[in-house]
Amino acid sequence: MKTVLVIGGGVTGLKTASELAEMGYNVSLVEKEDYLGGQVVRHKYYKLAPDLRLAGDVIDPVIKAVESNSNIKVHKHSHVVSVSGSAPEFKAKIKNSKGETEETFGAIVVATGFDHFDPTVKQEYGYGRFKDVVTNSEVEEMLNPNGPTKGELKRPSDGKVPKKIAIFQCVGSRDRQVGNPYCCRVGCVVSTKQAIEIKEKYPDSEVYVYYMDMRMFGRGWEELYGKAMEEYEVIFTRGRGAEVTLKNQQLSLRAEETIMDRPIQHSVDMIILAAGMAAGDGTIEAAKVLGIKQNDYGFLAPKDDFLSPNESSKSGIYIAGADKGPMDIENCIVEGAAVAAKVAGKLKN
Amino acid sequence: MAENTDKMVIDGVELTGIWKEFLPSRILYEDVTTEFLDEVKKLPGGSTILKCYQCGTCTGGCTLPDFVDKFNPRRFIDLVRRGHYDILVNENKDLVWKCVSCQRCTHRCPKGVNTQEVVRAIAKFLEDRKVFGKLTNDEAFDEVFMEEVIEDGRIDEVKIVKDFYSKTGRLKDMMSADQLSLGFKMLTSGRIKLFGGKIKDWKKVSQRLKEELQ
Repeated sequence: MKTVLVIGGGVTGLKTASELAEMGYNVSLVEKEDYLGGQVVRHKYYKLAPDLRLAGDVIDPVIKAVESNSNIKVHKHSHVVSVSGSAPEFKAKIKNSKGETEETFGAIVVATGFDHFDPTVKQEYGYGRFKDVVTNSEVEEMLNPNGPTKGELKRPSDGKVPKKIAIFQCVGSRDRQVGNPYCCRVGCVVSTKQAIEIKEKYPDSEVYVYYMDMRMFGRGWEELYGKAMEEYEVIFTRGRGAEVTLKNQQLSLRAEETIMDRPIQHSVDMIILAAGMAAGDGTIEAAKVLGIKQNDYGFLAPKDDFLSPNESSKSGIYIAGADKGPMDIENCIVEGAAVAAKVAGKLKN
Repeated sequence: MAENTDKMVIDGVELTGIWKEFLPSRILYEDVTTEFLDEVKKLPGGSTILKCYQCGTCTGGCTLPDFVDKFNPRRFIDLVRRGHYDILVNENKDLVWKCVSCQRCTHRCPKGVNTQEVVRAIAKFLEDRKVFGKLTNDEAFDEVFMEEVIEDGRIDEVKIVKDFYSKTGRLKDMMSADQLSLGFKMLTSGRIKLFGGKIKDWKKVSQRLKEELQ
């Protein structure tokens, strides 16, 4: 049985599908939205850290590799509603607006990814109450020339370009209050990148980052952090944003400068919340349909984190990418290729 | 934006205001500004202030804290970057000057901050803002020293001590018994001379120096 079902048309699923197709396997790619590219396309990511290269330069070739390969059948706007059987023969029902079809597969790869954390829960930050408190994915859309503001950073309340901007790190990450005690792994570098983009576009603006730790562990991330500080004069303040209020009709944040042992109140024009990663709806749905194990936070649990990182708790079902936990695009592509190799090896016998 | 959390009126009663009256604000400082950072980074030696990521290597290895409590280069840098001008002046203006330029901080800084120069730049920044008021002994001595060098091209020990005491308004102290006996001992042992030698044609150099310093 040389047909593989890939669930999820984000960067991981796309990479898996194209790698498997290149090796001669037939692939069915199921995507719930009507476009490919996942969160990258959904939130119109503009530039990628740390090189500030265009996200399109990365995602477009990956999408094209899938669309141009005749071994891949793409089901957009579709869901996998039920799966029966076991390795090496699964029967999966794929449902879309036209109806249901049943297909047989030798293996299933789950690449359902993540969702951005919804900061409405963090009431003290006033997301949803104050228009000028926005998330980092909204800023990403704004900074994209094809986005709603044509690449201009504008305050949602009055459409003006903000002069003082504060960025709150770790919103919905490292936070037991919302049940996400893990690190989102990309918030630090994304905020640093956005701060640089803002300073590059509006040199007169002031960007303040409120952080607990700057976790710059990736390739070129620490260097980007240094660049933001030295060349772009982004002000990093150690201290987690505590609350946002309105003072004289202006946004006012409270935090402690822990280095200085000093609580402060700081008036700004716009606040960007670096919302972390949560297990996506698709991931939770897939876990339910397939009956595979999740960890405490809803992400999919590998059979063995060290020895078989891409195998789920069920034989024949594989997992890859940000549905296993927060992951950056670079590593998602690695995961996609890795799981493709694993599946190909298994199906060959 | 309609909501103003400064005031919260429920059933005609303003609630937050009442609380604020007997709960003193915890906020010690309002607003953050890059005004002072912009000034310091333009001063000679101040440009590397931007590189600092507050690891504390400088203060950790500093020569001074054994002798000068609270001398903390990392803190000076952070105060300037955050624009906490009041703390810088009230708590640190007499500290910033005490750096002995041993350069341990500069050599050890993992981020390439020229810490000693930055501390000097911060001191210069404070001096330019005239926060010191009355001259400290250190500054008075520096001034007398410079004047002497420009005037005579060399240091005359007796003259510099006399000028220093007169500058700080303590000529009386100079004539105290122990000072005089110390002076006498130094004179007889040849440590100091009553009349220092002159440098030939120094007038021209002095003139040129003064022009240059104008």
